[in-house]
Amino acid sequence: MGKNRSPDDFLPLTPAMFHILLALADRERHGYDSMREVDERTEGKVRLGPGTLYGSIKRMLNDGLIEELDERPDPQLDDERRRYYRLTDFGYRIAVAEAERLAALVKAARSKKLLSQTKFGVR
Amino acid sequence: MNLSSRIYRILLLAYPSEFRREYGGQMVLVFRDGYRDEVDRNRHFAFVTYWLNTLLDLVVTATKEHSQNFGKDRQLMTNMRRDIIALLGTIAIIVAALALLNYGRSHEVSSILAVGRVLDAIVTAGIVGNLVVFLLVKFTQWNSLRIALWTFVVVHAVLVIIIAILGPQVEPQFRLGPILLAYVLSFLFWFGLHWAWRSMRQEVASS
Repeated sequence: MGKNRSPDDFLPLTPAMFHILLALADRERHGYDSMREVDERTEGKVRLGPGTLYGSIKRMLNDGLIEELDERPDPQLDDERRRYYRLTDFGYRIAVAEAERLAALVKAARSKKLLSQTKFGVR
Repeated sequence: MNLSSRIYRILLLAYPSEFRREYGGQMVLVFRDGYRDEVDRNRHFAFVTYWLNTLLDLVVTATKEHSQNFGKDRQLMTNMRRDIIALLGTIAIIVAALALLNYGRSHEVSSILAVGRVLDAIVTAGIVGNLVVFLLVKFTQWNSLRIALWTFVVVHAVLVIIIAILGPQVEPQFRLGPILLAYVLSFLFWFGLHWAWRSMRQEVASS
């Protein structure tokens, strides 16, 4: 398990893992819900296939970044076969660490004037 | 289940069986929902691009899962090979000591008989001690070198005590000194061997 390791040991995360952590940051979701959230948030630019989704979920479960819920949040609303996942505290810390790492990169890109001020709302 | 989902379920055979058992059902659900949404959007050839993306995802991720399993299998094989080498090495040492002892006694080779008690100790303590060490290492999480140290201390001490009690009854000329020396040498031999084996393994692991 990765719980004895520092969040920095997991960085950089793969894009798929970071997107899944972002999808689970506000609430627990099942696999397809996470996939759809990523699709909508990125306006269709990032589409996770079932293999990428569950390969990432497997690794994050093993490392203790996410956990499976024992009960479905709303059993009447959807297929009972679905499994729901949520962020663990450790997963949350890793998501924050990755976000900070990316923010530092964006800051560096900005200082080199690689980002358009209008598009990315700089300063 | 529609035809596409059925085909996708069959294609999941490309994944390692352990992964398929754990996530195959969920993957089919995700595929089914994604496919239904693509068709509902009613884009031209939406199902074709959906299938192409899915196939690409399947090839890439199935290869990745297999390569990770291969790494695990290789580690398992390496550990098993090391255990077999250690076991065969121990048996070979005990058999060689026994053969040497028998040869020395039957041919009255004085140089071998001079170390006869040490060979005796190596054989007796080696059989009992290594068996206990092997079982403790396999079934506990304790440090293997510490297990070897304490097992050989206890086994050698117990054998010396038994010999010290029974020896004078069997042999009137019995002297404890040479027996004690033989068992100290035997302890140093076996523990030294375990220490060297462990150091060698650590060196290989870190290289």
